[in-house]
Amino acid sequence: MPRTPAIKGLSLRNFAVFVSDYLRRNGVETILSGGACVAIYTKNKYMSLDLDLVLAASTDYQKAKEALEAIGFLQKGRYFVHGDTRFFIDFVPPPASIGEEPVKEVAEIKKGKKTLRLLSVTDCVKDRLAAFYHWEDRQALEQAVLVALAHPTGLKEVRRWSRAEGMIEKYGIFLKRLKTRSSRSRRP
Amino acid sequence: MFKGLFGSDKRGKILLYLYTHGEAYPTEIATAFQWYLNTVQNQLQKLEGDRIVYSRLRGKIRLFGLDPRNPFSREIKVILEKMLDFVSEEEKKKLYRPRLRPRRSGKPL
Repeated sequence: MPRTPAIKGLSLRNFAVFVSDYLRRNGVETILSGGACVAIYTKNKYMSLDLDLVLAASTDYQKAKEALEAIGFLQKGRYFVHGDTRFFIDFVPPPASIGEEPVKEVAEIKKGKKTLRLLSVTDCVKDRLAAFYHWEDRQALEQAVLVALAHPTGLKEVRRWSRAEGMIEKYGIFLKRLKTRSSRSRRP
Repeated sequence: MFKGLFGSDKRGKILLYLYTHGEAYPTEIATAFQWYLNTVQNQLQKLEGDRIVYSRLRGKIRLFGLDPRNPFSREIKVILEKMLDFVSEEEKKKLYRPRLRPRRSGKPL
């Protein structure tokens, strides 16, 4: 019988920490990306139910699948679900990238002895902006703004990347939105 | 040619179809190539899993397109553009040259 871990009732952040750490201890290196990073960086101002875990280039998908199944996860199509949580896991094939560029720095969140590896704040903003840039996704734009408001963000780097993606005009829309929201939140 | 580069002739043709059409839905692709719908859906599912294509719902239709967020998106497009050079004029006309500009409703053909 697979040992069922104590995942019942875990918040998204703690669930992500648990899964990331558990997988690493079983030889599966991952980086959390997507909406879950937004939820973590904004303290759930945006809610996500899925963990998009980008597998490291050296990691075999089968190994990741077996590790999750060993603790009671079931594969449902592309996703892995567990009876004790509403959150689900999606493995994203490598390489970890933001638009055309590879992810160079990975952030870490520690909880006790456990570690979650995830996109940095700046890369999380870029990741959301990519959806806005390419699909006009206004929700993704709002998420990028929320993250940038909640944490110091490398706006110079976001600007450089936006230019490289050929999206400098849309970066202007993001910046304007960020300034509007920022001045609103400073009002007494 | 497609098989060597994309692992399967069908996969290559589907990618070329998406490249020239922007977005398409599985039945449309299956009809264009006269393939089984399942064949197209399976290929699209694999391509989506590999982040080469994306899908999104538009009403009740699931549309697929080349994923612009793939780090090799630009290079894939360069290869597909080159591929087009080797497709016969007849095939290009039939499969890879859609009219994408708008046509006012009611306008006679």
